[in-house]
Amino acid sequence: MSKLQTLSGAFDWRAEAIDWPVTTDVGPGLAGVVAAETRVMWLDPSSGELAYRGVPIDALASSPDFEATAHLLITGRGPEEDPGGLANFRHQVRSSRLLPPDVVDLVRSLDPATHPTRILRAGVSALGCHELSVDDDLSGSRQWRELRIVGQVASLVGEICRHRNGLGSRAPEEGCSLSEGVLAALNDRRPEPDEIRALDLLWVLYAAHGLDAPTFTSMVVASCLADPYYNIVAGLSALRGPKTGGASESVLDQLLPLDNPGAAEAWVRKAIDSGETIAGFGHRAYHMPDPRVVILRKEVAAMARSRGRSELFEIARTVESAVTRELAPKGVFINVNFYGALLFHLLGAEPPLAPCLIAVGRMAGMAALVSEALDNIRLYRPLSRYVGVGDRTP
Amino acid sequence: MIGNGPVCAEQTYGRGLAGLVVGDTAISEVDGIRGRLLYRGYPVEQLVGRTSFEEVAYLVLFGEMPDASRLADWTAELVRWRHPPEAALDALQRVPARAHPLAQYRTMMTVAACHIPEPENTELDAQWRRPARILSWTAGLAAYAIRHLQGLAPVAPRDDLGYAANFLYQTLGEPPSEEALEAFEASLVVQAEHGLHAAAFAALIVISTGADLGSAVLAGMGALSGARHGGANQLCFEMLARLEGPEHARVWALEALARGHRFPGFGHRVYKCPDPRVRSLEPYAEALLASRGQKKLWHTYLALREEVEGALGAKGIYANVDSITGLLYHPIGLPVSAFPIPFCLAIQTGWMAHCLEYLPDGRVIEPGAVYIDPE
Repeated sequence: MSKLQTLSGAFDWRAEAIDWPVTTDVGPGLAGVVAAETRVMWLDPSSGELAYRGVPIDALASSPDFEATAHLLITGRGPEEDPGGLANFRHQVRSSRLLPPDVVDLVRSLDPATHPTRILRAGVSALGCHELSVDDDLSGSRQWRELRIVGQVASLVGEICRHRNGLGSRAPEEGCSLSEGVLAALNDRRPEPDEIRALDLLWVLYAAHGLDAPTFTSMVVASCLADPYYNIVAGLSALRGPKTGGASESVLDQLLPLDNPGAAEAWVRKAIDSGETIAGFGHRAYHMPDPRVVILRKEVAAMARSRGRSELFEIARTVESAVTRELAPKGVFINVNFYGALLFHLLGAEPPLAPCLIAVGRMAGMAALVSEALDNIRLYRPLSRYVGVGDRTP
Repeated sequence: MIGNGPVCAEQTYGRGLAGLVVGDTAISEVDGIRGRLLYRGYPVEQLVGRTSFEEVAYLVLFGEMPDASRLADWTAELVRWRHPPEAALDALQRVPARAHPLAQYRTMMTVAACHIPEPENTELDAQWRRPARILSWTAGLAAYAIRHLQGLAPVAPRDDLGYAANFLYQTLGEPPSEEALEAFEASLVVQAEHGLHAAAFAALIVISTGADLGSAVLAGMGALSGARHGGANQLCFEMLARLEGPEHARVWALEALARGHRFPGFGHRVYKCPDPRVRSLEPYAEALLASRGQKKLWHTYLALREEVEGALGAKGIYANVDSITGLLYHPIGLPVSAFPIPFCLAIQTGWMAHCLEYLPDGRVIEPGAVYIDPE
């Protein structure tokens, strides 16, 4: 048995092995609890380091390639290490984008104004009915490993974008990358190179982030040996939550109506005074600004400048400084959703599409973490303590 | 739950968070040592036969037995939501019949969720109005799915019937007999809540993100659909149906025990003693099977239970609720593949109660993971 940490003291979230059972502090929302061992990713709350399979996030972000990152997360092998494997993987992911016509019909039968994450959930559920029959071993990790899921979700998101924008169904061009396919569907035109780069970057940064609520939901469901599509439906249910991926939508809802930096400053003051939640700030994982923010801020600045939207960046910068000035002393720091959402917006996404677009990137991390967990998982079954009324009779 | 007061104590726990106390609850007490299950202080065996599922659902969700006027309002609310969106029913035409029944049911739920007006999804106040809609929509969808599996046309709901009676009516196409209804209602009552099992935990994580109650229920359903969690009542019934009678059951059980067979419907993560839900339901199963001329099946069950508990009881393995519900659902007329459905309908009450209890100021549930350095 090992004692792992105290909430106040420093603790190394890296070990050679865990000797169960463990003793830790348990904070609200299970902060500080060790719910899994993983070789997939590493994030250090005190130094702000984030690495996938030992590769620092900065290195992955410098020439972003989502498919290569997904391959790295799931197999643990980098592009130099296994070029053949990566080529196969790209082929597999891209060719899994062809959806059954019934699934496309189901998506298109829904009101285009429905929240995209709900349509995505219905689409994934229907897809699962086509992919797996009652006689299959539903609990297997095969679907995760084969990674059809990542391509399928990307394709569904593309269809949902087109449906929302009143465009007819169109499958992604054969052989184009996942990001090219989704951008083409979103804007109904061939994407620019800097757009492809930006979406790859977003997906790389959003791919995995420890046991955040959507991933942990999926792991708990997987631990009951549910089928992978049920895991994703459950994970997407959490991802939409306004306190997780859904915050990206709220960021845009809050920022886009602001006309200039002055108005932004005034809005922040008012929001803080009235105790309103400011989306894009606050996170559990780090005791400092999220390392992904620096990367995204630079990218948003460049994209805004080249699109003649520098004012939007200035407004965002103003909000960031004003909120940081007020809340950083209280330990509330900017998180990935703030500039992440803005970048999705600059790529042409309306606010409700942001959580859906995040979901594509997140599938890679979920596939990696869930399939890893399936190998040595035990049913998640914690306890609660009864504090209610004593015996009574009807 | 953990939202209602800080829990910062040091705790010791194992893999799968075994032994970790996530927080406090006032919903149910599951005592695995003494074999007791209490909803809001009421022992379940005292609720069985005295209270309807509607009353128990209200008790579990809101903390008190409803008085006459509250019960009338709650019942009216449940009746009001008996018509799930047509589109959710139509969705079944777009999925292959060979898909798992729970995957088909899931697809109907996800499509139904697309028809809930958007602002309701994230407003806290709205969450409190949602349980009735979820309980009634899911019952209607499940009844439709079960008929669809059998190639039968849907049956419209009847407003004059209670929750349990209407579900059976919509599933079987005719109102249930009095004894079938009593037995079915009892099975819903004892399965309405069972602490923080894996499915309830999954629902709790989803609600902690600020998502809506329907999304939380979907996650719970996902957990329940897994082979480790739900579906054991179907497997247990199939085992019993294969046995030719009590004598065969004893011979087979001894032989199976000798080779270390794991019996579906026996053994429980919490109860290391007889499951209180089994004792409550047995009289209904016995009476129902007797009235249908299937006494032999009842004695087969008894013989198997005696042999298995006789051999394994000392190790804490006893018949659990999944051993008995099939013996109610079969004489009532439900197809075997539909046996897991009533459990889903009942237990979601408990998940929603846990979610509502967690909501007021619960933090997002995000534990940590230790990185195992491959170097």
